[in-house]
Amino acid sequence: MRTAVAALLACAIAELPASAQSLITEVTFSAGRSTEDVNAGSTQIRLFGPVAKSDWRVYLEGTWGDTSSAASDAFGAAYPYDGRVRPMELYLERTAHRGGAILGVRAGRYRLPFGISARSDHAYTGFTRAPLVRYGTNWALSNTFLETGVEILAGSPAVQVAASVGIPQDEGAYRRPRGLDTVVRAQVFSGPLIVGASHVRTQPSEVGKFVHGRMTFSGVDARWMAAGVQLRGEWIFGRPFDGVWTRGGYLDGIVHVERMGPVTGVLRFERLDYFAGEHSDFYRRVTIGARIRTWRAFDVQLSLIRQPRGPEGSRPTAFDAGLTYTARF
Amino acid sequence: MTRLGLLGVALCVWPAGPVPTDLIGTASASGKTIADAVIWLDAPGSGRVAPRTEAVLDQRDLQFFPHVLAVQVGTAVKFPNHDRVFHNVFSFHDRKKFDLGLYPVGVVRQVPFDRAGLSRVFCNIHPQMAAYVIVVDTPYFAVSDSAGNFRIKGVPIGTYPYHAWRPGGSILNAMVEVHPAARLDVRWP
Repeated sequence: MRTAVAALLACAIAELPASAQSLITEVTFSAGRSTEDVNAGSTQIRLFGPVAKSDWRVYLEGTWGDTSSAASDAFGAAYPYDGRVRPMELYLERTAHRGGAILGVRAGRYRLPFGISARSDHAYTGFTRAPLVRYGTNWALSNTFLETGVEILAGSPAVQVAASVGIPQDEGAYRRPRGLDTVVRAQVFSGPLIVGASHVRTQPSEVGKFVHGRMTFSGVDARWMAAGVQLRGEWIFGRPFDGVWTRGGYLDGIVHVERMGPVTGVLRFERLDYFAGEHSDFYRRVTIGARIRTWRAFDVQLSLIRQPRGPEGSRPTAFDAGLTYTARF
Repeated sequence: MTRLGLLGVALCVWPAGPVPTDLIGTASASGKTIADAVIWLDAPGSGRVAPRTEAVLDQRDLQFFPHVLAVQVGTAVKFPNHDRVFHNVFSFHDRKKFDLGLYPVGVVRQVPFDRAGLSRVFCNIHPQMAAYVIVVDTPYFAVSDSAGNFRIKGVPIGTYPYHAWRPGGSILNAMVEVHPAARLDVRWP
């Protein structure tokens, strides 16, 4: 399957010269330090845009990231930090608009299309860490789960349904074994409110003699925005494998009003409950932070994290500071 | 010459002929032709010419297209989202202030631009997305293409004050005489 994806993308790349002026190359450099004794750095390169003169779009992304300690989840918002160069999303997509209808197809390798899953959406609005429910280490859905397959989107601007069929092809420490996955997501949009529901049936990322069955999760998510204030949340529940189950979610407040200038303020309340008898865990975390657009393409991200009950290796209070620079060519 | 002075000159010489023509030219900076320069002519009294009522600033491939959009006062600009991710278009500075909120693929939101001036437009989710909307109080304007060429269509023959702007550059002000063989080359040092 990996070969098929590579072949598909090679065909796309072969067509690129005709549209070279329309393609965008984007490079991002990030560096950060946390009081959890973590220094981290990463870089990503992306190539995206139209394929030749068609309505097809290509998206290619590679990443490298490293951290001084894997014990903390600081800065692990969207990419693996294991010191290796890794391919991430690699896909072709086309979205057609006819009258009031939308029909889209995406083929290749893409992030698990469950809930609030877009990299830029969940990771770079001012938070330096992904939600607790987005780490495989927390018996939930990892933010580096990747699917190789086909996703179909149908509906209208107001009501959309997306279905994905593929196989897991994850990057990072937690990798699911091969097997057929299905993900379904429905979304309703009305005025300032966007509500979605998702369901995934996939392979468990844990390995061991105690792991049996499939990973299945369902979730609901909602976003409301008015006058520069966004409230959003996501709640997921399901089982990472047979015999145990996980539930959890987060509520975010994101504020960007005129008098704040280049500052976007963020606030997150979150919890995660893992029920596994004597191995159960119950995490709670509050994050307050900001993203500050500074000179040119530099962004500063600051997060103060309070986690009286956090994942192993975390401290009750932590402060993260990150700097991101992005250039486009 | 002050803008008021230029306006006075324009009033004295307007209009000079009934037959409109196209004014073509090139925009350049530091000796190189440039795209996305906006050139417009002051034309007092031409407000009776109805503005193009709609214009589009598209969001596609995590960028705004076009990068520079010039419209006449009174134009409603549509902001469709053609990406599969959400966008949050806003403009907090300069002439027109708005925040369109979050919206998904297929949704179009609209902003009326009813005063002349410059608005810088961003997406709060994708900091690399940026565009300019420049609103002019005249029907005679154009934006230079990738080769630096522009064409202002249907200009009555006469002498006009003109202005030119480009991203990151100063506004140039001068006079131009429009006739069928006229050409306007705008140069930033």
